[in-house]
Amino acid sequence: MSHIPRRALSLPRPLLLGGAILLASTLVAAFPGAVAPYDPLAMDYVNLLAPPSAAHPFGTDNFGRDVLSRVLHAYTIDMQIALFATLFPFVFGTLVGAVVGYVGGTPEAVFGRVVDAVITFPFLVLVIAIVSVLGPGLGNMYIAIGVVGWVFYARIVAAEVKVQTRLDYADAGRAMGYTHARIVFRHLLPNAITPAVVYWMTDMALAILLGSSLGYLGLGAQPPAAEWGVQIADGKNFMATAWWISVFPGIAIVITGLGFSLLGDGLAEVLRGRR
Amino acid sequence: MVEALLSAEDVSKDFAFPRSVVDLLRRRHVTAVHALNGVSLDVRRGETLGIVGESGCGKSTLARCLVRLHDCDRGRVVFDGTDIATLRGAARRRFNARVQMIFQDPYSSLNPRMSVRQILSEALRVHRMRPAGEIDGRIAELLEMVRLPADAADRHPHAFSGGQRQRIGIARALAVEPEVLVADELVSALDVSVQAQVVNLLLELQDRLDLTIVFVAHDLRLVRHISHRVAVMYLGKVVEVAPTEALFTDPRHPYTQALLAAAPEIDPGRRSRRAGARGELPSPIDLPPGCLFHTRCPHAFDRCPRDVPELGPRGPGHAAACHLDAPAPRP
Repeated sequence: MSHIPRRALSLPRPLLLGGAILLASTLVAAFPGAVAPYDPLAMDYVNLLAPPSAAHPFGTDNFGRDVLSRVLHAYTIDMQIALFATLFPFVFGTLVGAVVGYVGGTPEAVFGRVVDAVITFPFLVLVIAIVSVLGPGLGNMYIAIGVVGWVFYARIVAAEVKVQTRLDYADAGRAMGYTHARIVFRHLLPNAITPAVVYWMTDMALAILLGSSLGYLGLGAQPPAAEWGVQIADGKNFMATAWWISVFPGIAIVITGLGFSLLGDGLAEVLRGRR
Repeated sequence: MVEALLSAEDVSKDFAFPRSVVDLLRRRHVTAVHALNGVSLDVRRGETLGIVGESGCGKSTLARCLVRLHDCDRGRVVFDGTDIATLRGAARRRFNARVQMIFQDPYSSLNPRMSVRQILSEALRVHRMRPAGEIDGRIAELLEMVRLPADAADRHPHAFSGGQRQRIGIARALAVEPEVLVADELVSALDVSVQAQVVNLLLELQDRLDLTIVFVAHDLRLVRHISHRVAVMYLGKVVEVAPTEALFTDPRHPYTQALLAAAPEIDPGRRSRRAGARGELPSPIDLPPGCLFHTRCPHAFDRCPRDVPELGPRGPGHAAACHLDAPAPRP
């Protein structure tokens, strides 16, 4: 008798692989001290810019800080960015999109113009502009991403809800005398939310990249905090002599991003299969 | 004469095209599809009323107006003495329970994410048809009524065939114990072999539950099989209404005659090559003046493009809207 439930075996591989990567990432993010060999902020002036070795597997940076420990501690901030930068846009955008797609008419037209206005600006530029006004730091970065990011979710959900609204089961609900809220949130939204959930997963990967970009530009997490973008920025002057300062955080970004993408693909497969 | 339980009184319904800014600036008139143009129709308690007509004649729009999925633009729909447009809140929900609809497409009329049990129990709970403890029993009863196995309750719609799905749709409508069922093209999406099963089930349920049925369809033989009375629609108007046999044996409106003549005949000896109506259905955006059918009518004369004919008596319970009293079928 196998101890693995049969349902788990039938799940798509990307879902399992992505889930495993993210589970491991979340554990590291929650307990970085348990896996990191050194304090991420402790400086060791004897070992400046030391190449990877048994004592420092990822080497040390220009302050003699252990790169491995910094990469591991950065999970805490970067996984938070992935979640906090996307949670509000996902929830708020989905609600707005569901209502706008169901009601149609003038609210939909107004919403359409808002979407146009946001989409004509490059996302990164808009976020940088808002952060510059609010001042650098993680909190303001979340606000900036939230102000802009919900629009994309709302657009996806509105289009999907609009399609569902035209199907007979929506009319059947109305003929039954169900309230609009029941029809939208209990009937239409569960059938319309899949693309938004899949986009959410991709968006988490993008949020980490965005967070790192802003960290690199000095607008997100602030030094000396361990954050992958900040670390890459720290290492940029030493690329020729100490490549490990920037390359290892880069690899961490790639692996985590891959985890979210795989999870998104797998979820898409599972959610669509249930239709 | 039996009083009407549900009636349409001069009901009109337009669907306007969205107007662009340019249209507004040029003060262009709103263009609209005139789906219903003054439909008057009575549905009597306990009867099956068939509504037939070509695609695009407004049958489905009328069905949706009867259950108030659409509000009519002019005229009114009266149910049990009350104009349904005035119903609000609890009274409206009560109306929804008393007049239910069954939909055409078995694939889109059921929420794909809800099991049959969820679909039925939602209807039972929202309308407080049964106390919580009796809901499972009632679901089993409903499934038995539409001849689905008891284990169907915990499956999702995708596990069923088209005919089974239509029966789930019927069970959902029956859950709220309606008096009137409006069936919009109930079986037109199904295989012929399955159509008979579903239609006969509906007739049997009508007997058992004293249902009044409005059966919207384009299949004349089917309508003849199940209806007590039949109304014929053309371009959003009722052109003839009569007891079923009178309508099929002695059609009095030229359009009805054309429609019956166009129906495929199984007996080759009775086949005819003659067309009862010429030309195409006019656009419901620009309706012809006078009698809507005059552009295609073989009997049209000078009065037809000028005056709108009213429904006038042609026999017991038989009425037709034509300027000719009783045009003979063309030889």
